[in-house]
Amino acid sequence: MNSIIIAQMAVSGAFMGLVYALIAYGFQLTFSTSKSINFGQGELVMLSAFFSLTLLNLGVPYWLMVPGGLLFGVILGLAVERAGVRLALEQKSEGWILLTIIIGLLGFSAAENIWGRDDRPFPTPISSDALQFFGVSITPLEISVAIGVFAIMGLIELFKRKTLLGKAFEAVSADRDAAELMGISATRTVMLSYGLSGLVAAMAGILVSPITTVGPTMASALILKAFSVAVVAGLDSGFGVVVIGIFLGALESLTSFYLGSGWRETPGLILLILALAVRPNGVFGKATIRKV
Amino acid sequence: MLKRLLFIRGVEIVAITMLAAIPLMVSNSYVLALLTLLAIYGILLIGLDVTVGYLGQVNLAHAAFLGLGAYASGLSVSLLGFGMLSALSVSMLVGLILGGLLAFPALRLEGPQFALATLSFSALSVTVLNEWEALTGGAQGLHVSRPIFFGHTVNAQGFYWLCLILLAFVWMAMRNLLSSQWGRAFEALRDSPIATDAMGVGTYRHKVAGFAMGSALGGLAGGLYAFNFQYLQPQSFVYELMVILLLGVVLGGRKSLWGAFFGACLVALLPNLLSNRLLFQVISALGLLAALLAGARGLMKKTTQPFQAVAPVIAMGLLVVGGMMVKNTEDWRKAIFALMLFSVVVGLPEGIMGFAARFLSRLFRIDPPALPPASILDVALPVKKPDGGPLLILQELKRYFGGVKAVDGISITVQSGQIHGLIGPNGSGKSTAVNVISGLYSPSSGKMLLHDKALPRGMFNVARTGISRTFQNLQLFSELSALENVMVAMKGAFRIPLPLVLMGFAKREEKRAQADALALLELTGLDNQARISAKDLTYGDQRFLEIARALARKPELLILDEPAAGLALPDVHKLLDIIRQIHQRGITIILIEHHMDVVTKLCDVVTVLDGGKVIAEGSAEEVKCNPKVIEAYLGTANEENTADIAL
Amino acid sequence: MLSIENLYAGYGTSKVLSGASLEVAQGKVVALIGANGAGKTTTMRAISGMLKPSQGRVLLDGKPVQGFDASRIARMGLAHAPEGRKVFGPLSTEDNLLLGAYSRLPLFFGFRAKSADDLERVYDLFPLLRERRLQSAGTLSGGEQQMLAIGRALMANPKVMLLDEPSMGLAPVIVQEVFNTIRRLKAAGITLLLVEQFAESALDVADYVYVMEHGRIVAQGAPAELQKDRRVLEAYLG
Repeated sequence: MNSIIIAQMAVSGAFMGLVYALIAYGFQLTFSTSKSINFGQGELVMLSAFFSLTLLNLGVPYWLMVPGGLLFGVILGLAVERAGVRLALEQKSEGWILLTIIIGLLGFSAAENIWGRDDRPFPTPISSDALQFFGVSITPLEISVAIGVFAIMGLIELFKRKTLLGKAFEAVSADRDAAELMGISATRTVMLSYGLSGLVAAMAGILVSPITTVGPTMASALILKAFSVAVVAGLDSGFGVVVIGIFLGALESLTSFYLGSGWRETPGLILLILALAVRPNGVFGKATIRKV
Repeated sequence: MLKRLLFIRGVEIVAITMLAAIPLMVSNSYVLALLTLLAIYGILLIGLDVTVGYLGQVNLAHAAFLGLGAYASGLSVSLLGFGMLSALSVSMLVGLILGGLLAFPALRLEGPQFALATLSFSALSVTVLNEWEALTGGAQGLHVSRPIFFGHTVNAQGFYWLCLILLAFVWMAMRNLLSSQWGRAFEALRDSPIATDAMGVGTYRHKVAGFAMGSALGGLAGGLYAFNFQYLQPQSFVYELMVILLLGVVLGGRKSLWGAFFGACLVALLPNLLSNRLLFQVISALGLLAALLAGARGLMKKTTQPFQAVAPVIAMGLLVVGGMMVKNTEDWRKAIFALMLFSVVVGLPEGIMGFAARFLSRLFRIDPPALPPASILDVALPVKKPDGGPLLILQELKRYFGGVKAVDGISITVQSGQIHGLIGPNGSGKSTAVNVISGLYSPSSGKMLLHDKALPRGMFNVARTGISRTFQNLQLFSELSALENVMVAMKGAFRIPLPLVLMGFAKREEKRAQADALALLELTGLDNQARISAKDLTYGDQRFLEIARALARKPELLILDEPAAGLALPDVHKLLDIIRQIHQRGITIILIEHHMDVVTKLCDVVTVLDGGKVIAEGSAEEVKCNPKVIEAYLGTANEENTADIAL
Repeated sequence: MLSIENLYAGYGTSKVLSGASLEVAQGKVVALIGANGAGKTTTMRAISGMLKPSQGRVLLDGKPVQGFDASRIARMGLAHAPEGRKVFGPLSTEDNLLLGAYSRLPLFFGFRAKSADDLERVYDLFPLLRERRLQSAGTLSGGEQQMLAIGRALMANPKVMLLDEPSMGLAPVIVQEVFNTIRRLKAAGITLLLVEQFAESALDVADYVYVMEHGRIVAQGAPAELQKDRRVLEAYLG
């Protein structure tokens, strides 16, 4: 009996873990092209979720809402790049850390005032009636999360490997100057990566909202765990985030079961600090060479 | 000298006296509360400025240290019955220890990872404060009573003075710290962590110490915060407060005690500013005006980019328009902070104090304190008698990068007291070899022995063995003056322990170090440029400064990595002269050069590298006649095998 | 095809170029030689836009391009194989080559078909690269990486190709091979500006030579003329 409960907790946690992995993947996208990440990514998730909810409330059918919500995410991502990142990168400063935090705060405040501070349910056509697998119950909703996460990550990876634009993307992360010499505009590639990272954030928002409900603070816990996943897996490693995401999701689900739900964020945070201490470039990351 | 002392110290004394006197003149409890808060935030922001300003890292944990300090004080009073001072010491200690513990792992990396680690730490702290209900009372909050102070109860006015006195102490201690070797080391490692390590200063431990000290101040401010409000809630120390604190430091101006103070004024006043609608509108309109003026001026003078000029105007414009449309500005508090902070970070990155300081220094020409006379060179760089035996031995040293064999098994013995030339065409592995010797790269395989002992790993440890180096691509501390560049590296000059430094007892060794550094600048012909910051020196002088700085390590073995690269002919002659003088003081030199003539004039032994391997060794004349060397230098091109391929 | 006029450029306080001018005619191989630190690589960087010149003009096919982003200049038909090769380490050899043709291939689909001929040509020129086509470029040897860098630049079908120190860090045998390659490029009519530290070899392949010192051109002429006046060369090359 006990082992089934543990399995159940671990499996439900793992599905949440996939969402962390998806958001962490968004960090990797921008980090690989520009060595920068959007510290306000959580607000992107939240704002896209609110926007999608508004679309639904306006009577847009669910399957039309999805591309609408994703597009909104892309636009937000591009806006963050333009307002918060580009200048700092040009000046080779770390100003983008502060600026993306600031833009996130602005988005948070806007959401609070436009949509209110309360959590709202997010309707979905996908059923949440549990199916039983070896005594562990899994809902179609959870399965849809997994499908959505893998679909979008798969598509982006396919784009990176199979199209020339995707290869250009990788070229910029490998050597920005040399990529410029090939006629690849690094600025536009960074823009593209922020757009994609916005898309990923919006997808995460749409997937997770039916489970967590939508509210201004919905992403503040999510984002911390996504940070942990990204750092523990390594900011430049592709699918490592999925492994770490699933692991962390299961771990925190068990933690909250044994220690109480207030503690559920601690394993991720401790893991992050530990990872920095033991493997600063992440479990799946590569060591960098200092150049003189 | 006197004028400077009177002016700078005078302003400080007048300011603190005025602040202390206000409650005697105005008996208004609201004003008193505001002033108390100002003093507390002053301490808090001075602490934050250590990491954000001097170390140049985005620190998101400071609000958490405020909270941890507050709870530490509160609990040590309510559970342990501590008095005021001991409770505050506990808070400081908590900040120091937790700060140190966090810094240990977190400061290994820079930039985003550091910010992430501190962010996680904040979240973790708030979680613990919230969830450990038995101790902290959780979300219910914790009531704290103000304890007795040396047997007396403290009223609001007395507490304010206590805060003010502590602020004054912190101010003085930080000024002593920042004008000592510590402050220089902080700035140096921000400019070039590689060179800081190479100069034996220890990037990592300075960072950890700096972060721990900043956090200790956060803890102290937390203790005062607890006794001021007498009620604590975990929710007070979250992300939003952190953003406001950063706003304070950035708007006030980084790397400045006055900047932190201005920031504190702002942070203390900000909530009041928002509650009064008229005041808010006036201020936002002024902000828009300032952004417009600054933007227009910047564009006209071409000192700013279009985005930098336009974005703050848009942000402030939003603030003005939004302020008119919105019913309750309190609700939009976060957005307002965000817009203000955005404008400042983009449009005025050096902050108000940075801007004012430039302006003020133009207005009042204040001479910096006079420098001591230079010491005699024998003191700054004692003559050593080389023993003539082998000093450094390399055996089968290899370093590969992926498939590229940059150094492919070289064996060299450097005899002490000699100038050993290392030459070869571009990319032959000279620079990689010295980077391996000096510890920047670890070798792929092979042995390195100094005095028959294996060289330690890492630049910092190698630097401590008596090897010092210059860099081909200059790695100067660009913001520091020439004198300070040399002083940072000065070996054995700074022995006074940290507590005494804080109390201001480092002045004498500071003078000595200045005198010694001046002697080295004299040796390299830079004594008249001592005060000029490294980035403003001419290219040639920057190269000489690299040498002077390396000499401050009083090295046994000096590695010069292409010192003549890019030098004009007169400078090359000067360089030859300097190297000869250094050699006469018994210092062994490895000279990496591209110019054959420089090598011929100086070197006792020359090793020639090509393709990562040693192809010849001997006196300069011998090497020059070696057919392999001639081939490597001139390259050969055969006419065969040029069949055309359609392209 | 390419000319620079009175070019000034530098990094921070150091002014490396002070009024350099040179010209590369269509189909010619022009060598730029000089001592270390004379400004050869800086000239290349200023031409291709990796470094913005502070004064002077760069004309590509008659059009001024100074101050443009490197990517824009590349799309206008300039291929720069930079010093240190700078291949994309994590990507495969073939992907490196495909990216060389980035500015004239479709971005999403069909880029393989469209580049097949060019790819074959480069593989014929460097058969070794064909063997290594799926290997990641970072694991290639120095010589192979240099071939890849040249091949990558060729893939662009450039109007002008800049080749910066192709012999750097290579063993003498490989250096020979590099120069043989350059001869073949010359025979194929590629317009080439070559920076070399090995003056002799450079003189051997070039149609015209510029000698640089302290950021200026101090001597120029056909290789034969310069060869005659060896004193000049030796003085400048040290």
